[in-house]
Amino acid sequence: MATQTARLGQTTAPSRSTSRRWRRLREVSLGYLLLAPALVLLIVFELFPVLYGFFISTCNWRLNCGENLERFIGFDNYVRAFTDPEMWTSLWTTAVYSLMSVPIQLGLGLLIAYLLFQDIRGKDVFRVMFFFPYITSTVASAAVWAYLYSPDRGLINAVARSLNLPILKWLGESKGIFELMAQGLGGTLPNALDGPPLALVALIIYTTWVFLGYDIAIFLAGLGNIPGELYDAAKVDGAAGWRLFRHITLPLLSPTTFFLLLLTVIGTFKAFNHIYVMTRGGPAGATETSSLYIFSQMFEYQRYGYSAALSFILFTVILIITIIQNRAAGSRVVYD
Amino acid sequence: MRKSMFAVLAVIALLIAACGPSATPAPTTAPAAQPTTAAVSPTKPPAVPTTAPVAPTTAPTAAAVKINNPPASAAEVDAIVLAGKNVQVTYWHNRPQKDQDLLQSMLDEFNKSNPYGIKAKAEIAGSSYNDVYNKVNAALQANQPPEISVAYQNQAAFYRGQNAVIDLTPFVKSTKYGISDADMKDYIQTFLDSDKNPQFKNEVLGFPTQRSMEVMFVNLDALKKLGYDGAPKDWKTFEEAACKFAKDNPGKYGWDVGHDASRFAARIFARGGRILAPDGQSYVFNSQAGVDDLSMVARLLQNKCAVEIPTSESFGNQNRFGNGDLLMTMGSSSGLPFFQQAVDKGGKFKWDIALLPGADQPNAGMDLYGASVSVYKTTPEKELAAWLVIKFLGEKTQTTKWALATGYLPVRQSAKADVIAGFKADKTWGPVADSYAKMFDWTKYSLIESPVAGYDPVRLSLDKDVVTKLIQDPKSDVKALLDAAKASADKVLKENAPK
Repeated sequence: MATQTARLGQTTAPSRSTSRRWRRLREVSLGYLLLAPALVLLIVFELFPVLYGFFISTCNWRLNCGENLERFIGFDNYVRAFTDPEMWTSLWTTAVYSLMSVPIQLGLGLLIAYLLFQDIRGKDVFRVMFFFPYITSTVASAAVWAYLYSPDRGLINAVARSLNLPILKWLGESKGIFELMAQGLGGTLPNALDGPPLALVALIIYTTWVFLGYDIAIFLAGLGNIPGELYDAAKVDGAAGWRLFRHITLPLLSPTTFFLLLLTVIGTFKAFNHIYVMTRGGPAGATETSSLYIFSQMFEYQRYGYSAALSFILFTVILIITIIQNRAAGSRVVYD
Repeated sequence: MRKSMFAVLAVIALLIAACGPSATPAPTTAPAAQPTTAAVSPTKPPAVPTTAPVAPTTAPTAAAVKINNPPASAAEVDAIVLAGKNVQVTYWHNRPQKDQDLLQSMLDEFNKSNPYGIKAKAEIAGSSYNDVYNKVNAALQANQPPEISVAYQNQAAFYRGQNAVIDLTPFVKSTKYGISDADMKDYIQTFLDSDKNPQFKNEVLGFPTQRSMEVMFVNLDALKKLGYDGAPKDWKTFEEAACKFAKDNPGKYGWDVGHDASRFAARIFARGGRILAPDGQSYVFNSQAGVDDLSMVARLLQNKCAVEIPTSESFGNQNRFGNGDLLMTMGSSSGLPFFQQAVDKGGKFKWDIALLPGADQPNAGMDLYGASVSVYKTTPEKELAAWLVIKFLGEKTQTTKWALATGYLPVRQSAKADVIAGFKADKTWGPVADSYAKMFDWTKYSLIESPVAGYDPVRLSLDKDVVTKLIQDPKSDVKALLDAAKASADKVLKENAPK
């Protein structure tokens, strides 16, 4: 052993460094080898589809990019999208849907979670009830709600009729809610003040009904993580009610709120299933959000390339909004 | 640290949202597009079909003929040798399991009886024509199309524009494998005409194995009560009857406005108008017929004589008609037994089907529906085998079986008597057999909507930009609505025109 050590010592610095390099190479290779299955899966199922999707978006793609790529059009689909008024309308509809849905969902979710966090009788039953719509099939519940909204056969108008309230067309109404209110009062409004279409509002009501349970569940988990001692200490200092909520609950719940905010905004921008089932973008395009527009361009117009370009644009919009939210809300989130 | 936590949260949120339920688009189940403009040609008296079996190809002449893919002439088709090639044919369709079983049993018979060793099998490729359309498009992108599939004429035109389906003319005309003159005369001519595509120099891009048509369903008891002895024969009487019924029956309506371009097209046809110009180069639904029709729709809505059936209400007109809440409605003849069931469950009144008002007048017509079967470009041998399968399915025995099982019209005139007799003897179809029988006489009025590529979005636009806008505001300028829709439809037509 001593002889061997002596011999190794004689091999001078270069051979030691070669051996170190060799060992390091082996370690790195082993690392990559262990990572390889995951990397292959990522490349095949994540990276490749994204890159291929981008390639499609640069073609006038019908069933392919044509022999010898004769339908390769570079960024024309993107240029077309930015000059397409319907694309902007759908994006605006999506933004309105999101701007109205998110505050309602999160506000109500927080309020109900706070109430359910108190020591009230039957709170477990309420929790299950609120969560139930979230686990129900979207397609099934959307179909049921579409029936509830039916103008002359639905339950909602039946109740309205019995209470002598005005009968509305709900999912079939493209007029703005403020315009309808003004009409009900016998007046008119300038077009700019019409408000969001009633059909879109009807969708927002449904969305709130479905996702409220999820928001409540997450908020309840967040509320459970706030140490009770903080409340005790604040109470000792004379704080109560709104002050406790304002200065302890809200700040310490901010990571949860922020998380839900990101999730809900992204979800509303990508909303598709229930809108497709309930309105298919109608009436007269009043509920045609970006996802539905992308879908129609692909499956109805067979504009695969254009549809792919629209998808990348929507992805970019969502990414930008997420980054803005991250920057704007970051300083207001309290982690300890 | 905090910043990195934000970043991690943002990434997690993006990932969760990406996997969330809202991210998954639901498959389209939208109703399939309906067809075109084929010229009305009166049905000729039935001829005796040829039943002689086709002899196997031995073709010593084959070597002399160069066979293109797809074959460009009957001689090229004649020269294809199938014997010993063991060609397999897959047929994608959208029918339910019971029809799949029937179809496969017929194909099993074909597999046993054909002298070339062709093996054909049927596969359900979705529950709607659009499902099949989307699946075929995906398969074509992967270069793995089936040999044959159901396809509406406009869908076949889209495939043809991509060089993916073939013209069947050389196969039909082939002396060895084609259809004899007598057999061709036995086919209902308008059915054959509907597959000739004006966008592609009248190439035959599909072959019919079934058809149905848009008819008017009328409540005979209620009409009698109102003083009419049958279905209205002109639009004035139609409007008058609808309003009388609504007035006498609060909460009920004389007619329904459905969100379906085919309803609109059927009324245009009945008024002597057309959807597409005969040369297939422009849309013409903004004609006087279109204006007159929409003006009537607006009046009926304003006077509360008609009601809108929302898109969310499945089979709304069928159920409402069955309950006696509608005096008249329109729909595909393939719904006959379902209307019967709805009436049996609901209002239990006497009802019937009729031509749309005016549809039997000169230049007018009935909207003919029905996807055909198209053959995809594969190899000449597979294309020929696919054609032989279609030809087999169009024979009297097969088309009779199919009509009896599905309620579609058979494609052969010689099948008429057997199908009607079969319907009368059948428990499900018995009550509607007499109504069904009338349609054979109506086939001579058949017109199809638009067989051109890109008609599907035009159909949606007709609903979204014309019918829905009119429902929203019955005081709209109907001519302006139609002109705007026509302009946008022409753009789609140009975009999809053969390059």
